[in-house]
Amino acid sequence: MNAFFATIHTSFRRQLTYRAANLSGLFTNLMFGFFRAAVLIALYKEQTSVNGLSINGAVTYAGLTQSLIGVMSFFHWYDLMHTVYDGRVGADLLRPINYFSYWLGIDIGRALGALIIRGLPLFLVFSVFYDITLPESLIQWNLFALSILFALLISFSWRFLVNLASFWTPNALGIGRFAFGLSWTLSGFYFPLALFPDWLANFCRLTPFGASLYFPIQVFIGNVQGAEIMQGFFIQVFWVVTLIILGHIVLAQGVKKLVIQGG
Amino acid sequence: MRRNLSLLFRLLRIQIRSQLQYPASFVMEVLSQAMILGFFFVAFAVTLSQFGDIGGWTLGEVALLWGLAEFSFGMMDMIFSGFDYDAFGPLVIKGTFDQLLLRPVNITMQVLGSRFVLRRLGKIIEGLIIFIIGLSLANVDWTLGRILYIPVLIFCQVLFFGSLFIFGATTTFWTKERLEILNVFTYGGSEIMSYPMHIFPRAIRLLFSFVVPAIFLSYFPMVYILDKPNPLNMPVFTSFLAPFIAISMFWLSLKFWRFGIKNYQSTGS
Amino acid sequence: MEAIIKADRLSKDYKIYKDHKGYLGALRNLFDRRFTLVHAVNDVSFRIYPGELIGYIGPNGAGKSTTIKMLTGLLVPTSGEVQVNEFIPWKDRKDYVKHIGAVFGQRTTLWWDLPVRDSLELLKHIYEIPSDRFKQNLDSFRAILELDAFMDTPVRSLSLGQRMRADLCAALLHDPKLIFLDEPTIGLDVVAKQRVREFIQFINAKRGTTILLTTHDTADIAKLCKRIMIIDHGKILYDGEFDELIKYYGGSRVLSVEFAEFYQDPTIDQAKIIQRDGVNVIYSFKREDISASKLIHQLSEKYRIRDLEVQDQAIEDVIRDIYENQLLYN
Ligand SMILES: Nc1ncnc2c1ncn2[C@@H]1O[C@H](COP(=O)(O)OP(=O)(O)OP(=O)(O)O)[C@@H](O)[C@H]1O
Ligand SMILES: [Mg+2]
Repeated sequence: MNAFFATIHTSFRRQLTYRAANLSGLFTNLMFGFFRAAVLIALYKEQTSVNGLSINGAVTYAGLTQSLIGVMSFFHWYDLMHTVYDGRVGADLLRPINYFSYWLGIDIGRALGALIIRGLPLFLVFSVFYDITLPESLIQWNLFALSILFALLISFSWRFLVNLASFWTPNALGIGRFAFGLSWTLSGFYFPLALFPDWLANFCRLTPFGASLYFPIQVFIGNVQGAEIMQGFFIQVFWVVTLIILGHIVLAQGVKKLVIQGG
Repeated sequence: MRRNLSLLFRLLRIQIRSQLQYPASFVMEVLSQAMILGFFFVAFAVTLSQFGDIGGWTLGEVALLWGLAEFSFGMMDMIFSGFDYDAFGPLVIKGTFDQLLLRPVNITMQVLGSRFVLRRLGKIIEGLIIFIIGLSLANVDWTLGRILYIPVLIFCQVLFFGSLFIFGATTTFWTKERLEILNVFTYGGSEIMSYPMHIFPRAIRLLFSFVVPAIFLSYFPMVYILDKPNPLNMPVFTSFLAPFIAISMFWLSLKFWRFGIKNYQSTGS
Repeated sequence: MEAIIKADRLSKDYKIYKDHKGYLGALRNLFDRRFTLVHAVNDVSFRIYPGELIGYIGPNGAGKSTTIKMLTGLLVPTSGEVQVNEFIPWKDRKDYVKHIGAVFGQRTTLWWDLPVRDSLELLKHIYEIPSDRFKQNLDSFRAILELDAFMDTPVRSLSLGQRMRADLCAALLHDPKLIFLDEPTIGLDVVAKQRVREFIQFINAKRGTTILLTTHDTADIAKLCKRIMIIDHGKILYDGEFDELIKYYGGSRVLSVEFAEFYQDPTIDQAKIIQRDGVNVIYSFKREDISASKLIHQLSEKYRIRDLEVQDQAIEDVIRDIYENQLLYN
């Protein structure tokens, strides 16, 4: 356990040192947040609520997705792949810490760093410009925090799994592009899923992608109640467990493959 | 010049050949890219169906803007792959750029020839489909002028996005890293150009009119082609500034590029 | 004879930027940058004549690569002048580089993803090498450098030694009159090193190509270069014959012998035993007293030898002495 926290700590500190990159990332996400918010505002016109989603909720949605991109690192994460291709993976596998936990530690550190110097400031600045919908109770805040934690676990496990493809093929980048494209499209990143036709929204909600972006945001803007919240958490937990197990199974196969064929 | 071009084509041919080494997986990747990228438009379309229109523009009309921007950006992203700052930054950092300087060939040609990402065909196809959807949905009163303006616009947008890539690549001579902020203007620019731009707040519009004059390459021309009302009250000629703006931007970006190389040679990598 | 390279009071300063600390610092860096100057090359002058094979040596960070970058037109000097043939490298870059070749041991000049053959073929077009000339050169280099085994392998999957050989071949296909080799033996095993050295020698002797070579391996210098230039802290410390330097500053060389049987007293005139361990004996001797071949000859007349090696250990010591004690400053 100690090694795990040490990994988180180191990774967190390192994330904080990428100052110029973080600053420019923050600004970029903020601008995209503005773009998306403007589009939503133009769509809503005088309407205040559509499909149960208020205009303020929709705008908050745009700001939150952008705040969370850096934290969840949804759409672009090839770090593990790179270590496979440049051979560092050998040393990593020899560490006295579970390989999955090792990377998870790195990712949590990275996410925490990104949250503090990128996600939070972005959302604060964003909220200066727009009327934001905030959680209304402590319970809601806590539920949001919990859903974010699960979301990170899902997001990480998915990325871990995708990156493992590099154990088998030298062209895992292509697989990654596809897999991350998938998370992109189904997570509700472009437009609030609440504005989609029900069948499509429901489908997205069931995927790990909806569970790792759409659901936490719904909790945040208070657009889910009672049973729906329970259901959302159930879906999240399901994916956390499934993906972690899957990750370990695939990893075991991959390590075998790596050992037998020497990479 | 002829020599440069023939060399360029030789370089490109080699890259294309190697990317087509596994045709089946290449086709798969192109198609899946097209689908994934296209989903953004699908998401927009289903969202729009809840509302009817955006800023007074219908789905078909937006699709024309959207398809044009995607198509042109895809073309540019393929042709100017070498200047993609994601790839060019590492080239400078690793010192590989030096090897280009050691060869007796025009450096711009070499950078153009250094990378050619054929899978951008996915984006091109996606843009084309969206544009065709736009053509079939929108009521356009086609005149010869309007028809002819479309290819001109595509050419201008390619030049325009290309100049942004060249600007972006050049900045890496100084920053020595790829800065995400450039995405605001490239990918963000293309996203903004996909909508009728009067819907954006004034500050954003000004930014994309006078700093990065994207508005002259999609919104104003499309106002003319679709004969839409002009809520920004711009004079009519603004619809026809695209070629002038695109060529000036491109010229400026090449100037900046030359300046960047000069600077690189005097500061070292 | 007219010099092929003329460098006069050549200097290059680098700015090393110091970032402001903290988050606001990152913003501040955009507008207000602090820096210190490094005088990487400091007021250096020299002449290089056609057909020379010169070793350019010095400790890490001495300014060797910087000099080479200026000579190849990659860097503009901060001050001073450099002229190669009738060219000013950085000004006439495009025309100039047709006439030179360069190999940087640390990185390849070939196309990473292309097979060696395609890379070389491309160079033919880039340098507009006439077909017959290209073929002649390629055939001859292929044989000497033994490229055939990996002609169809992409550059990225070559071993270091293979890559270096391919790079050497690439640098010479267009018959440059002058080539720059920046650490062409770095990271190579003994066999590969030997092959590279032989090739360099061949090019210099048979084609009269002028060669400027940097290396950290004194054996390269001892085997290849008549003249050397030593640079440190951006200043040239020595420019002259290698043998002179060794004669003047160093003296002794080392001969390690493994005898076929044990000898009580394997002494020999003009050489001193500095270490003894059974049949293994190490002699030290002075260059001006006796040549290595003569010594070996004398030894083998008196004793049965199984194996022997002349080490340039002593040379390395001399060079280290010079680096460490700045011997040549006075
Ligand atoms: N691009 C650069 N920016 C700043 N400083 C540099 C740059 N390149 C080199 N230097 C500095 O200039 C000095 C000379 O470097 P140079 O690379 O010429 O040394 P070298 O003799 O080739 O060393 P080595 O044997 O390690 O290759 C060093 O102090 C180095 O740190
Ligand atoms: Mg060096």
